[in-house]
Amino acid sequence: MTGLGYTVPAIASVLTVFALEFAVLHTGLLRQPAYWLSMVIVLGFQVPVDGWLTKRSAPIVIYNERQTSGVRFPCDIPIEDFLFGFALVTAVLLVWERQRASR
Amino acid sequence: MAGPDHPSRAAEARCGVTDWWQYLILLGLCLAITAPLELFGAGVYRQPRRLARAVVPVAVPFLVWDAVAIAARVWTYNDEYITGIHIPFGVPVEEVLFFLVIPVCALLTYNAVTAILDRSRRR
Repeated sequence: MTGLGYTVPAIASVLTVFALEFAVLHTGLLRQPAYWLSMVIVLGFQVPVDGWLTKRSAPIVIYNERQTSGVRFPCDIPIEDFLFGFALVTAVLLVWERQRASR
Repeated sequence: MAGPDHPSRAAEARCGVTDWWQYLILLGLCLAITAPLELFGAGVYRQPRRLARAVVPVAVPFLVWDAVAIAARVWTYNDEYITGIHIPFGVPVEEVLFFLVIPVCALLTYNAVTAILDRSRRR
């Protein structure tokens, strides 16, 4: 845990997505129960999928542990992956919603 | 015995060639499991232009992040479980598909949840 080359950009990606919504897009997505319920379901599926990709016994993705916080939970998933996933999925849903709003 | 603490021996114990497809198969399963959600509401695949306009502009910066992380060796990919096909900057083709497949799965989930909540509200 020295460079935090994953931790810092992962946090930054989430802040960027919030900034995108509150400064630019204004979709109101983050106030919708459907969004949060969807995120809970996505999270539920992220654990087995991401868990398979990152399991230490036979990893598909191998992390430089010096670039992460070192916290891997649940399974062997680096916690940064949850920030990364949140930012990716939320950004796509925001742009999807924005297109409805702009119609 | 190849235990969980010995990834190289565990990998050797399995047959090599089919393992190259592991990452692609995982993405295929994600698409297969979420496909029925298209039946709800206005759907996602039925709005291809809106789908492309939501997924592609987000995939691009994430792929740039991926390429930078690979170049800086923040993370790497296990050659045993990917096809070995890469786009420029050393990004495996599986990663490109990841940034398309996972957003599609999320959109299908959101589409279905929205449709179900709307239906229950109307009752």
